[in-house]
Amino acid sequence: MNAGLISKCSSVGRSMLGGLGNNSQGLLGTSHEIMRMTCNKFLSQQHRTFIQMRTNLKVVDNSGAKRVMCIQALKGKKGARLGDTIIASVKEAQPRGKVKKGDVVYGVVVRAAMQRGRCDGSEIKFDDNAVVLVNKQGEPIGTRVFGPVPHELRKKKHVKILTLAEHIA
Amino acid sequence: MRLEKCWFCSSTIYPGHGMQFVRNDAKIFRFCRSKCHKNFKMKRNPRKVKWTKAYRRLHGKDMTQDSTFEFERKRNRPERYDRNVTENTLKAIKKIDKVRVDREARHHALRRKGKKAKEQKEAAKELEQSIHMVKAPAALQQEPSLTLPKIKVSVSHQQAEENRPMEE
Repeated sequence: MNAGLISKCSSVGRSMLGGLGNNSQGLLGTSHEIMRMTCNKFLSQQHRTFIQMRTNLKVVDNSGAKRVMCIQALKGKKGARLGDTIIASVKEAQPRGKVKKGDVVYGVVVRAAMQRGRCDGSEIKFDDNAVVLVNKQGEPIGTRVFGPVPHELRKKKHVKILTLAEHIA
Repeated sequence: MRLEKCWFCSSTIYPGHGMQFVRNDAKIFRFCRSKCHKNFKMKRNPRKVKWTKAYRRLHGKDMTQDSTFEFERKRNRPERYDRNVTENTLKAIKKIDKVRVDREARHHALRRKGKKAKEQKEAAKELEQSIHMVKAPAALQQEPSLTLPKIKVSVSHQQAEENRPMEE
């Protein structure tokens, strides 16, 4: 019985069945639970991480770019988070805009799917990764910002972006 | 500092707890703990999840309309700080809480009312219908009262006689 269970474990993936391995259930019972666990895993529990090289981000201002790929996260060994600046390359742009495809630009991350801790102890996270293009001095290239922005930007001295924002989370 | 309500279970979120999720349409969902957050990610409807306040209010398990709820309405205008007002508010909060808890207890007691009478009626009916499982029908005819006969245990020489009714 135990041998049969162990062989089933190795075929599916040992990490998932760490808890189930010790149960002396019938083989049918364990396989049903494997199915349920895999379905749940695919559904929701994605662990979000930093914004690093090759991360695609959405551009939420009217500077002309649509999608941008991060090539460097300034500050941060593992990557950029909410409120940090990155260097990015424009991958997709609108035909008549201030930036064109292939430009190397600076950007400020205004929405990140990875949660960031607030100073009061709670955490905040957004639905997607979004960036606002800025110049070297930190002033936004565009004139409008779409979607919600966090007020972590105030501490990072990106006050201009906050004034342009339509909603501050 | 503001005490928020969890979007899923409607419990209060104290500072330092919980997670906020901001959707792209700028709607903010606050959760008191990861249990509620995970249920949200599974797209469960709080009105169908039994332990949430939304379900309980919807199904009449907790009170829905009460004047004590008016005091907890969200106010967006900041109040100017006044020491007396603050003191009175703190005292009032305690009192309102007590009143609310008493009213909820009354609501729950009202829900439970009528259970005792119902149980007794059911027990009487069961006794009437299934007494044959406990006593033999022949024995019932000997003693028409529904209670089992009391057998007096007297000593030694009468034991042979009393064994016979017990075997029936």
